[in-house]
Parts: sequence; C-alpha cells; structure tokens
Amino acid sequence: MATTTAPPTVINAKLNGQDIQTKPGTLLINLTKELGIEVPAFCYYEGFSLQAACRMCLVQVNSSPKLLPGCTTIVTEGMVIETESPLVVEARKSMLEFLLTNHPLDCPVCDKGGECELQDMVFKYGAGESRFVDIKHHEPERPFSPVVYYDPARCILCYRCVRVCDEGYGVNALGVVNRGVLSEIAPNRGDQLNCDECGACIDICPVGALTSNTYRYKTRPWEMKHVGTTCAHCSNGCKTTLGVRNDEIMRANNRDSSGLNEEFLCIKGRFGFDFNHHPDRLQSPMLRIDGDLQPVSWSKALAAVAAKFNEVKAAGGKFGIVASNRTSNEENYYLQKFARTGLGTNNIDHARTGDVVTLVDALSGKQGKLATMADLYQTKAALVIGSDLAQQHPLLAYELRRNWRHHQARIYAMTPGPVREDKYAAATARVAFGEEIAALEGWREQLAKEPELLILFGDSIKGASLRQLVDFGESLGIPVKYVALVDYANSRGAIDMGLVPELHPGFVPSGQPGLTLPEMLDDSQLDVLWVVGANPLANRSQANPKAFVVVQDLFLTATAARADVVFPAASAYEKKGTVTNVTGEVQRLTAAVKTMGTKTDLEIFGLLGKEMGLELGIWSPDAVFNEIRQNVRGYNVTMPILATGGAAPTTPVNGKVNVETRSDLVHSAGDTLFTSGSMTKYSQVLNTVAERPGQLYKPV
Amino acid sequence: MANLTEILSAAKAITKGMGITFGEMLQPALTEAYPDGPPQFQERYRGAHVLKRDENGLEKCVACFLCAAACPSDCIYIEAAENTDQLRISGGERYAQVYNIDYNRCIFCGYCVEACPTDAITHGHDFEIASYDTSTLIYRKEKMLEAPQAGKASLAYDSQASNGTSGH
Amino acid sequence: MFNPPSPHEVKILTRRFGVQNSHTIDASLAHQGYDGLKKAIAMGADAVINEIKASALRGRGGAGFPTGMKWSFIPRTSPKPKYIVCNADESEPGTCKDRLLIQNDPHSLIEGIAIAGFTMNSNRGYIYVRGEYRYLIYILETAIAEAYKHNLLGQNILGTGWNFDLFVHSGAGAYECGEESALLNSLEGKRGTPRLKPPFPATHGLYQSPTLLNNVESFCAVTHIIRDGAADFAKHGPEKSGGTRLMCISGHVQRPGVYEMPLSTTLPFLINEVGGGLRPGRTLKAVQPGGSSSPILLPEECNVGLDFDSLAKAGTMAGSGGIVVLDDTADIVAYALRIIRFYQHESCGWCIPCREGTTWLKKILERLNQGEGTMKDVDLVGELAKNMFGRTFCALGDAAAWPTGSIVKKFRGEFETKLAAVQARQVPAELVNIG
Repeated sequence: MATTTAPPTVINAKLNGQDIQTKPGTLLINLTKELGIEVPAFCYYEGFSLQAACRMCLVQVNSSPKLLPGCTTIVTEGMVIETESPLVVEARKSMLEFLLTNHPLDCPVCDKGGECELQDMVFKYGAGESRFVDIKHHEPERPFSPVVYYDPARCILCYRCVRVCDEGYGVNALGVVNRGVLSEIAPNRGDQLNCDECGACIDICPVGALTSNTYRYKTRPWEMKHVGTTCAHCSNGCKTTLGVRNDEIMRANNRDSSGLNEEFLCIKGRFGFDFNHHPDRLQSPMLRIDGDLQPVSWSKALAAVAAKFNEVKAAGGKFGIVASNRTSNEENYYLQKFARTGLGTNNIDHARTGDVVTLVDALSGKQGKLATMADLYQTKAALVIGSDLAQQHPLLAYELRRNWRHHQARIYAMTPGPVREDKYAAATARVAFGEEIAALEGWREQLAKEPELLILFGDSIKGASLRQLVDFGESLGIPVKYVALVDYANSRGAIDMGLVPELHPGFVPSGQPGLTLPEMLDDSQLDVLWVVGANPLANRSQANPKAFVVVQDLFLTATAARADVVFPAASAYEKKGTVTNVTGEVQRLTAAVKTMGTKTDLEIFGLLGKEMGLELGIWSPDAVFNEIRQNVRGYNVTMPILATGGAAPTTPVNGKVNVETRSDLVHSAGDTLFTSGSMTKYSQVLNTVAERPGQLYKPV
Repeated sequence: MANLTEILSAAKAITKGMGITFGEMLQPALTEAYPDGPPQFQERYRGAHVLKRDENGLEKCVACFLCAAACPSDCIYIEAAENTDQLRISGGERYAQVYNIDYNRCIFCGYCVEACPTDAITHGHDFEIASYDTSTLIYRKEKMLEAPQAGKASLAYDSQASNGTSGH
Repeated sequence: MFNPPSPHEVKILTRRFGVQNSHTIDASLAHQGYDGLKKAIAMGADAVINEIKASALRGRGGAGFPTGMKWSFIPRTSPKPKYIVCNADESEPGTCKDRLLIQNDPHSLIEGIAIAGFTMNSNRGYIYVRGEYRYLIYILETAIAEAYKHNLLGQNILGTGWNFDLFVHSGAGAYECGEESALLNSLEGKRGTPRLKPPFPATHGLYQSPTLLNNVESFCAVTHIIRDGAADFAKHGPEKSGGTRLMCISGHVQRPGVYEMPLSTTLPFLINEVGGGLRPGRTLKAVQPGGSSSPILLPEECNVGLDFDSLAKAGTMAGSGGIVVLDDTADIVAYALRIIRFYQHESCGWCIPCREGTTWLKKILERLNQGEGTMKDVDLVGELAKNMFGRTFCALGDAAAWPTGSIVKKFRGEFETKLAAVQARQVPAELVNIG
C-alpha cells in the first residue's frame, strides 16, 4: 500500500499582518467574514455559485502580482493577505467609481434607499466626488410580472437574482440579455415572468433594480417597524419579518436570515399578507336579528352566545365544535379545554390534513424518528411520496434542493405527476395515489444502499398504508426519519393540542366517544355548531338546519353567512402565541398590527367562558402556553429559543398511542403555491399572479 | 481743582452721550411698526414652510422621507404614492400624497430644509401661526404648497391630455 | 486569396499556398497531406507530445503558452470524453492569418486537429469559426467531407480502430468568444461569457470534460512539426519561441499583408524589408506589434525581435501577430478612440471594470477627439486604464486598458496638440467625427 501524506487539517496564513489559522479549502472572503474583517462584495452570495463579476472583493495576496478576488481565492498555506492595503483600498474605490458611472443617483425615490448595499459601500469605500461628467446610459423601467418590476438603469449585474431563481428555487426564470454596457436582466421566456412569483429576486437584489409592485414607492425602510413572526399560510412555518407602518403591513421578507427558513419565502409569505387589509374583513360582531345578520356590540353578542350555550348545556343538548388549522396552540388548547371541561362535550374536530397520529403510533418505542427542518438540509437521501413539494411545501422543496446542491443529497420522487424534483432526483417514478407502497418495493435495493433516508409523504399515505410504509422503512436496515406532510400553519399543532374527539392534548386517548367533523354536520340532533376559523359549510349543508351556529372568522365565509352569531377574529399577524410546523417545531407569533373591532380567538374564548360563568383559567397567551408546557407531552420546549424568534423542536410521544384514529378522515386540501384555502379569495396578489392555477394533481 | 476736573469730565461724558443720541436721531428708524406695519425679514429667516414647485409647475417633493428622518421633533408626516402617466404630481417616480407638518411641535431648526435632496421644502417668512386651537396647527400639504405660477401647469395634470404623448 | 509572397518568407505553414486548388484534398495529398497524421499514429501519443515540446511551439492565439506543455496537461486517461476544440474565432483587429490558412489549406488544419484527437484519445472535435467567416464554413465543411471520404476522419481511421468526428460551429460575432472559456460556453449554447478559472479547460472544458483548445495556426503548425520533425521547425526561432509565424502587417507600409516569417525576425526588418517600408517621405510614429490589444511602441522602442519573449521584455506583447504600423500622418487620438470603441462594443458585460470602464473611456475619448475636454481628461483616461488593468475577470479588459494606457502615456503631447487644434478648428471634420 502506497503511503500518502495526509492532507493538512489546518492552514496557516497571515491576514493584515496577523497570523491566522483556518480549515483547508476556505474561501478568502469567508475567512475574513469569520474574523470580522469586511471585504465588500456584490456578486458573492454564500450558498450560490461563484461569479467574481463585481470585482469589489479584490485583495492583495503575496502569491499573485495582480489583485485577486476574495470570493474565488482559496486560502493556502503561507498565504499573506492584505485587505486594507492602499492598493486594495484604491481598487475598491475605482470599482465603485466605475459602478456609479451608469447608476442613477435617484436614491431619494429609490425603494432601496436606506438599505441599499451600493449606497452603504459608496458611503464607506467610495470617492467623495464623481469624475464622470458624461451622459449616463438609461433604459426605462418595466414590469416583469404583476409583482416584479425591473429598472435596468439601477442594475449592477451581480447576477444574484439569476442565481437565486435558478439554483435556489429551481425555477430558472431570469437570465441576461444583450452585451457589454447594454446587458440587462430579462425573463428567460418572453417578456414576462412565468414563475413562482416568489419575489426572492427582489429581496436578494443589492440595489433597487428589482422592486416589488406591492411595496413600490409606499414608504421607506426606516419608517417601518420590523416585526418578526411566523407566516400564516402553509405548514412549513417560515419566519417572516413584517415591515409595518401606521398599523399596515407594507411588506414581508426575511432578510436577516433568522429562523429555520433563513431567507426563503414563497409568494404567500412575501406577498400573501394582503388578506389582512382586505376591505371585507369583519370588524364587528354580528347577531342574527329577524333573519338578518346585524352588527351588534361585543357584549351583546357574547351575552347571546353565553345564554344559548348555558341553555343547551343545561338541557343536555348536543354541541359540535369545529376547530381550525390556523389558530395558535394556545387557542387550540384553550378551545379543547372549553369544550371538554366547560361544555362537557368531546364533539371537537378539525379538518385533518395528515395522519400524524398513526405515524407516532407506528414509530412507538423508537428514538429520533421524526425529522426536523434541519434534517432536510443534512440528510444524505430523501424520498418524497405523493406530494408536489414545490407547490405544497415550498420550504421543504427548497431545503432538499439546497441539500442536493451543497451536499449532493440523493432525492427519490414517487409522485403521480411530474414534479420539480425530477430535474435532479436520483430516481423518479410516476405512481398513482394508493399504489405507492407496492411500487416502493422496486426501489428497496437502491434505498437500502443509502446511508440514511428521510421519507416525506402526503395524505395518500394514511392508516394501514402508513403502517406499511413504516414497516418498509424500518426493514431497510438504515436510519430512516419521517415527515407526515400537513397543510396549514398550525395543522400539526391542532393534532398535538387534541382537537380530535379521540385524543386529548399530547396524544393521550380521550377514552370518551365524540363526534367527528362529518358526523357533526350529518347529525340532525345537533343543537349548537361552533366553528372557529374554519369553513366546513363551504360545499355542503348541515343535517340540522335549525342548529345554533356560532362562527369566529376573519371574513364572512359561507359558514359565517349561515351563522347566528359571528365574532370578528384577529389574524395570525395580529396575535401573540405559538404555532407548530410540519416538522414539529414550535415558533412564535408576534402581533404586528391590529384591525379595529377584532379580538383574538383566545380572547373570545376567555370572554365567552367568563360570560358563561366557567372557570377555565386566565386567557393570556403566555399563561396558556405555560400550561401547555406543563401538561402537553413533548411541548416542554426551551423558552429562550422561542423568545428569540427561533424554532423549538417538540419531542413527540414515544409510545403506543393506543387509539383507533379516524385515518379515513385525513384529506389534504391540495393547495398550490398560489392558493391558501379560503384565504386565497382575499389576497389580491395571489389572485393576480396565479396564471396557471390547479396544476396540482389530486386523486379522482 | 478737583471739582473743576470732575465737572469737565462729566460735561464731556454728557456731550459724548448726547452726541450719539442726536446723531442717531437723524438716522432712519430700525424699530418696526408691526403689527401696524409689515415686518421686515432677513432672507434666511426661518418661518413656516413652503413646498416648492419646479419649472414645469410640478411639485419638487418626491416623498423621500428624508425631512421626516432629519426632524428632531418628529413633526413631519408623509404618505407617498406613485406618479402615473395619467396623474403626474412630481418630477420623480413618487410624490407625497399626504404631507403634514405639526406646528405644535416644529422648532424651526431648518434640518428638514437641509436634508431635502430636491430643494422641495424651504422656510417661508410667514410666522403668524399662533392659534387658540391646536388642531389647526397641523398644516396639510395644500396649505404649504406654493401656488402654481401663471402660465405654468397646474397642481396635477393629465400628461396624455396636455402633451398628447403617452407618458415619459 | 492572399498577398504576393515576400522573398524573405520561410514557407512552412503556407507551403501549399499558391498550389492549384490548394483547398482540395487531392492537392493536399499530392503535397504530403496527412503524412503527419500517419506519422503521428505510427509514433504514438507520448512521442507526439514530446515532439511538440521539442519544437518550442507557442500558442499562436495571443497568450503564447507553450503548446507542448498544454497538450501534456490533458488527462488523456480520464474516463470522461475528451474534446479537441479549434479556436477559429479570429477577431483581433489587425490579425487575419487564420482566415488565409483555412481558405488556402484547410486540410492542414484538419490534419492538425486529427493528430491532436489521436494523441488525446478523443473522439470528437469542433472548429469554432467566427460568425463573420461564414464563407469559410463552406470550405471547411467541404474539406471535412473529403477527409471523411478518405477515411482520415470518421470510423476506424486508417485501420487503427480509432474514431474521430469533426464538426464546424459558427460563432455569432462576439470577440469575447475568442477567449477560450467564453468560446466553450458559446459552443455549449450558453451566453458567451468567460468562465471562472480554475478549473481550466484542460480538465473541465467543454461539457466539463477534458478539452484541448488551440488556435488554427497552432494546429496547422503541429501538422508540419510532426511531419518534418521538431528540429526543422524550431530552428527558425529563438530557443523558447520556435518556428515561423504568420505575421500580419498592416497600416502605413507599402506592402501590407500576411507573411510567414521566422520568429527570429526583427520588427525593423519586417517593416522595411518585408512590408516594403513606409511610404516615401514619411517617418514612423508608432507600432502596435501584437494586434490591437498590445501596448504601442514608439519608433525608438521598435528595434526588437518579434518573438514572444523579446516583445514582452519591451513592455508589449506578441499577441496574435497583427502588426499595425502608423506613420506621422496618423492621428493618435482617433486611433485610441478607434481601439476603445472596438473593446467597448465587444465587452461582454460580465465584470464591472471592463463593462463600465470601456464605456467611460469611450465617452471621454469621443469628447477629446472632438476637442471637448481638457488635459485633465487625458490624465483621467490614463488613470482609468490603470484602474482597469489587471482587475477584470478576463483578458478583454486588459486588452482594452493596456494599449489605451500606453497611448496616453507615450503620446500625451499629441493629445494636447489635437485638443488645441480642434478647438482652433484646424482639424478636418472627417478626422473629428470618425466612426
């Protein structure tokens, strides 16, 4: 056996006269970042391919007579690096001078003014005066799509947008056209973007070349209050930072890269907040008087509901409570407590979108089997079954793509139709819903060779087939983790908080009989139907048309229109609390704005309980969450993580659930990138950009 | 002897003093007859603000919010809106839909004028803004805006109608 | 087809020029055509590379990198396919040698590429032809078809069991695509922008596979080196720059043209003896010895050899072998503007200093040429050229900055005179509004 010298584990170099050590293969620009020395750059963006086009990061290195770009130079043994030598400083200054020759000085009207990287760099490194006296090249601004606008004059051609679109999101909608100084960014097909409309290109733009139509010219960055909260739409639980001015959300982004999604957001996260300001928002409680819903005061509405509830309770009548996929954990917990201890009923359910209960049961006794978001980026191999991730779970799709890009993860996609994962998957198969388990056997050999596997599955895998899937996974002989895909912002939390008749919070069997959602609607003896943030009567009617219906919602939905009392509820952006995402991580909601006349669902429960004379405990989100931490298994999460806006993983029950769960009721709504359940209707942006809705396949 | 010296020096002082008095009597008076007569201002006097227009009659203000950012007493409130081809208010892409100055709070420091990149906000010479009703002290844009000059385009105009061109 | 030859020429690459129908395979075969390929097959790959190393052949495209060394860098045993790419994107102003080689002796080029293909164990080659040379594509394709017919390309070439296919690909008229990595991008159907180096094309070239990329003249030289032996070629030049070179002399000489000269030729000899000297009564003002990208030489600097090392020592470069001679009638300001216009037009737009720098330089020089500006602007031109030089992504920025910087430095007085003259309206309008 030939002896080989082991590669060095540490590299010694000199940076600005200081001896430093680093790992082999470190890029010079990353080394300086680690050491807190700024080497400015426009085109370098961690995680994406290298460009070396902006030439801002030129530094002096002893091994080269020329200045070298820090973004492509790897630190080698004995390298002597100067980042602040007169030559480097002068080079930076001249690059900025070149950049500004054709860049308009319209900072006062530019949306990026105040948070512009070019502005910052010119302020710090640039020359005080311009020597350019000739006429600047100018091209007029043009829209790329209903949300993306492009101003070629401001563009510095750093290609960040092109890369984030292609490499990050796998969309490849943007490219470069023309040559030399006439070069500009353009949609790859036609003159309009036919893309996810995620707006990542807008956020990643270091200057004001790409701007968003929803935010353009409305305000300035320093005029806004920035509130970090969790996106109200799908189950992925992206952290989003809302820019708020005068109690209005002006924009959403996550430029500080905090949270589990770093800077990822899809169109719903970045632009879909506009439902919050929709003119149809309910702003007053309504009571059915003489057959019509009429605005009344809170006290009158609460009194009416309390009286009816007490009356039905006293008469031993039948309650049916429909809970939400979007309300916070605190609200869910308080609601089930209200139902079970306050009203003495177990008839509580919600629209189930993923069979988490069976998964937890099937995995009983095994450690570390439920994947977290970080696992998606770290796993060596992943298997996607029956879900178009890029449409339904964009963050999960993004993380897998990122994993493949950075770690060459092997992705397997088994879906009924073509998906975006096909482009880079190790293997793909077109398998109809319900036939996946049989088809998986064909991949057994290949999958068993992987060092580890992460299985994501949609709503077609439930009950018996889910148990078969777990059997399959556990028989591979490799570490396997699972993610049961669910639909909405707190679908996972709804199950954890026991919003089903068969379970109390924390997967504890309730042991009492209770009506499920379809059973409530089919029950002709039902006295009261209490709907919180759901729309069960959207496509069907009730068996008992005389039932007293109470609805808490943001809008007058089909269910609310049928109600006897409607309470205007606050949205997720207007309340404090926590939600649990698809991978079981708890994140905080922060109230960013307030809509006049609304109350949070938690407050409505509390006031109603008080009005009814019930003792349900105080209804502040903090107090209720404290109760959850003490009473709900798996939710004793680390508070500092939550408090600082992080995602705290829940530790799920590790034992048999011992309950016959109604897996047959699990049914995903099949939302796309451009839909978000009943909220879709109230988001103007989602409605204007959805060029090709309904691309998603659904079982017939 | 001592008395004579004292008398002489006193007389000298009186003469000197009265000399100035009589000399000044012949000069034009500096005292202003305000409020009976109009007050005189130095050019750089910082009075109530005036929002300027450019040579085309468009508003100079592009709603960059820099005056509001510079204001130490936080008395400027702006809401921005986008110019369109149909309705062009300012020369830039953006204009101030709402521009309020709260004179309850304004300290006339002039920082807003200094911060303005388009020379849109200036100090006028109006200072008679005292009021018994503080709610009248929030000046709206319409009150501060310079009147359009005769023969120039007015406040807002339809560029398509007036120029016959399709925008800029 | 070509200018009358000069008695001083050493005809190696151009030996078949003037032969009746020299572009046909019959004419080529009658004059030792494809003997080099047969010899290469007999020699074996290692011997071929050693032979080229021994010939001291340096790349004729512009950079002058030793060709033998380049060939030895290709991982011939790599499991990936290996590609041979010929750079026929000849666009350097002042250079027009590849055109003549293809026009008059395409088989010499095909043979050179085939030798490279055999040596690298490659099965596929491409000739990337400049878009404006559309008429050469026909010649090349005809010649390739002839070679296929004679089993000099295609399957089982000359019974060796080795297959090699050769394709002609047309560029779209971008100077930048003469840069090797931009050429590869363009060949792959992408935007013609240069790639990050390393990795170099030798290992990660066309479709991320090992790729040998040489200029037309280099491939042609290989043909003759292998046929006649390295020593026969190397003897015509100094130690480190072997052989002959097609020198394109243009500008104010009496007999401009392309001449194949030994690399030991000196610049005065080329101008006076080969190029026929300046026009009567004229004096030399400046020479650009290596295409428009090379720094300009003053008359007193012109006593240099035309090999790569001598010119580098003189502060300029041999480049692509396009020698531009300017006599005292030349307007150096207009000349500088003409050069920068070209580079401004051809800048691909990838990196900031080249994209913005060339545009700014053009704007200033346009102004200066029209008499608008001061000597401060002239200094600014020099400074901007300095700021661009060595800081751009690829060599195009250097190619624009280097000559411009040298012109401003060496002819500052000319700028002053011209500014004064134009401002006094003493310059004819056609010299002011050039373009």
